[in-house]
Amino acid sequence: MVNDPKKQIRQRIFIIQILLVGCICLLGIKAFDVQIFDFHDLTKKAELSYSKDLIIKGERGQILDRYLNKLGTSIDAPTITANPSQILDPIGTATALSKILNIKPKALEDKLSKNRQFIMIARKVSPTQATQIKALGVQGIYLESDSKRFYPNRNLAAQVIGFTGKDDSGLEGLEFKYNAILEGGIVKIRVKRDGTGRVLDINKKRRIELKGNSIVLTIDKKIQFLSERTLEQTVKAQQAKSGIALVMKPSTGELLAIANYPGFNPNNFAAFNKNTYRNRALTDAFEPGSVIKVFTVAAALEKGFTPKSIFFCEKGKYRIGRFTIHDTHPREWLTLNQIIQFSSNIGTAKIAETIGKKALYNYLTDFGFGQKTFVGCPGETNGTLLAYERWSKIDASAISFGQGLSVSAIQLISGISAIANDGMLMKPMLIKKIISNTGKELQVFAPKQLRQVISPKTAAQIKTMMNMVVQKNGTGTKAAMKGYTVCGKTSTAQKASKLKSGYEKNKYVAAFAGFAPQKNPELAILVVIDEPTKQHYGGQVAAPAFKTILAQSFSYLNIAPEKTKAMIAAVIKGEEH
Amino acid sequence: MFDRRLIENFDWGFLVVILLICSAGLVILYSAVTAGHDGVGVHPLFKRQIIWMVTGLCIMLASVVIDFRELDKLNLFIYTLCVGMLVAIYLFGELGGGSRRWLVIGFVRIQPSELMKIALVISLASVYSTCVSMEGLGFRDLIKPAILCLIPFGLIVNQPDLGTGLLLLLIAGSITLFVKVEKKVFFTLAGIGFSIVPLVWFVGLKAYQKDRILTFLDPDRDPLGAGYHIIQSKIAIGSGMVMGKGFLKGTQSALSFLPEQHTDFILSVLAEEWGLVGCLILLVLYLILLFWGLNIAYNCRNTFGSILAFGITIMIFWQIFINIGMVMGLMPVVGVPLPLISYGGSSVVTNMVGFGILLNISMRKFTN
Repeated sequence: MVNDPKKQIRQRIFIIQILLVGCICLLGIKAFDVQIFDFHDLTKKAELSYSKDLIIKGERGQILDRYLNKLGTSIDAPTITANPSQILDPIGTATALSKILNIKPKALEDKLSKNRQFIMIARKVSPTQATQIKALGVQGIYLESDSKRFYPNRNLAAQVIGFTGKDDSGLEGLEFKYNAILEGGIVKIRVKRDGTGRVLDINKKRRIELKGNSIVLTIDKKIQFLSERTLEQTVKAQQAKSGIALVMKPSTGELLAIANYPGFNPNNFAAFNKNTYRNRALTDAFEPGSVIKVFTVAAALEKGFTPKSIFFCEKGKYRIGRFTIHDTHPREWLTLNQIIQFSSNIGTAKIAETIGKKALYNYLTDFGFGQKTFVGCPGETNGTLLAYERWSKIDASAISFGQGLSVSAIQLISGISAIANDGMLMKPMLIKKIISNTGKELQVFAPKQLRQVISPKTAAQIKTMMNMVVQKNGTGTKAAMKGYTVCGKTSTAQKASKLKSGYEKNKYVAAFAGFAPQKNPELAILVVIDEPTKQHYGGQVAAPAFKTILAQSFSYLNIAPEKTKAMIAAVIKGEEH
Repeated sequence: MFDRRLIENFDWGFLVVILLICSAGLVILYSAVTAGHDGVGVHPLFKRQIIWMVTGLCIMLASVVIDFRELDKLNLFIYTLCVGMLVAIYLFGELGGGSRRWLVIGFVRIQPSELMKIALVISLASVYSTCVSMEGLGFRDLIKPAILCLIPFGLIVNQPDLGTGLLLLLIAGSITLFVKVEKKVFFTLAGIGFSIVPLVWFVGLKAYQKDRILTFLDPDRDPLGAGYHIIQSKIAIGSGMVMGKGFLKGTQSALSFLPEQHTDFILSVLAEEWGLVGCLILLVLYLILLFWGLNIAYNCRNTFGSILAFGITIMIFWQIFINIGMVMGLMPVVGVPLPLISYGGSSVVTNMVGFGILLNISMRKFTN
């Protein structure tokens, strides 16, 4: 037994050394245990915690006009997430973020104070907001690559393009119809992520690689714009319910503009009435009225009549069974030319009687009425054209001047274009091509001839008649344009009553369809104004809009005026003065 | 006054061991902060740690100059200074991680609870050196040490930083036992200790602290919450295997699965990248360090010096044991840094001061 405390201490140090060795050995053994024996389990756990199956969806393709202007596109819209356990100052962070994102600071603060590894703060924020958030440089706030649909031209061609929903899939219009093409590719990959749940690197790059295909339309952004502007002005000036304007290239069937008014802003579609989403030029059928007369007369010419053939017009009143047909201006004898020029109902009814139901039905069908055009927009209507066997006597007469059948605006412009195109009906075109995300052309659509409906000779005769419509004494003089030979046809149709049989007294559809120049028509244009209240004649309501669109489009397309004899004369005269 | 004999007696071997551990620490820290770092150049934390280490080494070498016996005389002053800083925290302290632990002086952030450890060791050594006896300490001898212990303990636990508080008690207890207590005192204290545990559990602990202990017992009960650290740390260590994944190759730590990977959980970075071999080498280095410290205590002829050397060594030991034990999943998660490896200025400086004192004692082992 030692009896010096100092020696005792030394003894104890020896014991303590043994204890220390024991403790350190214990740690060593534990390390051995964890690193060698638990290795398999732990590696598996590690694998699970830093890899994660992830579905990456590529960016959506674009919708472009014929000159590759963006109509519908995708912009970077990062999703903001947070790892609250890494946020040091929830109150300050919440205040700063809520200012940028326009959300309530209190709710955000509660979220950020939660003891969790991951929370969603905001989906698809704007690029400016994202930059601001990045600039904050707060630890624990993450931006994940994402994109959202954006329509840079807002209302422009909105009903044609449609829009996408929250999950970026098309809900309306071309976005809906061509969803499968536009949609970005999807891959399921195993990605590495870090402890905060953030996916590393690849995401953004892969999304660009997976970007969907883009579609190029035949639409010309400028013509679309000026058509919409003119249409809006007309609908407003006439205090009408709505309006449609279509511009087509007759030689190819390409649609350069599909304007519907009123419209909506697809960036904020929820704020608008659902009725404005519809592409009414294709989805809605209406009774076309007198425009149909050109097709009836075309049928007559094909059946052997000449423009000079005359029909008796019963002095403005013609009874068929218990119905009486009226003409605005009572006449006795009218040539085919005049029937078009003065838009005689009785005249066309007589033609229908003469050529028969079947012939009229066949020609109307050949011009494309009663069938879908399959132009590529969803919800297209057939219109209604009953089989001729089911026509009553009055039906044939009514149909001959545009009542008792309904058509869509797209059918009408196609039919008119067929006349402009020397009797050859083209398939209306809206999609020009489909290109891949690298710009490769995947599919190019060529103009497609459907059939020769009438002979070029007949077409030329009809054109001359339609030219007379816009000349002195015609019904559509307001569509005439200096320097060009304009062909057209007015229409003023009473709207069929929804409640009772027959027609509404003061509800009209005023329309004007035509093309120019007469010889080599560059553009065919249709303007339909629904329920104008100021005036109601097609010649007064729709013809001026037709002319404005035509004039502005020609000026934009640099289509030179024709050198007609009259013009040359005018020029010489001018020099004399 | 400065004797040539002192330089001859300078403990170069001990210094080499310290420098070895420091370099290992820097290598590991470099990996821990670089892996997830997007910026250019070296991570600022790494630069700061180098500055702290150099500062620490300078302080260590400087503290060699003054005879350690001066500390005996100054003990009350040092103690009061540190307690003063702990009190100052309540007035000017900076919040961090939910508790007030930091004191900002100029551009330096100090954690007074770290410095308190050394101050307490010096004070206890000073008190005990006057009352060592063959029979051990009686109750009466323990009154003053108890007061010395409980004041900083209370202040630190209130910050709240239970881990450091308990560490303080552990160090004080180890020193007391080392000095030897009477048998009846030992049993009484042990009895009180055991009866206090349930009381502390139900009254003294905050919810998150209970959570940590429960989670320690079963990490999978809350894998994303309180158990997260333990599970992730074990995964990181386990995936290192025998040889490790290699320098800067650790995924688990690089992908910031491990929070606090550069401070309390830095060992998992070592274990993942250098494997079992790396762990064992570090443990051996630590063991040499501790043995060296104990040898200094053994060889010192001065009782105060002996107790002081032991106290500092045991302080280092408990930090190592608790930290590694926690990272390996042997004990609950408490915020105790790994000496000379974990990032943290106060910790580096405290430990360096401790080593300085050990060197000091070693040089003057022949003085009485």
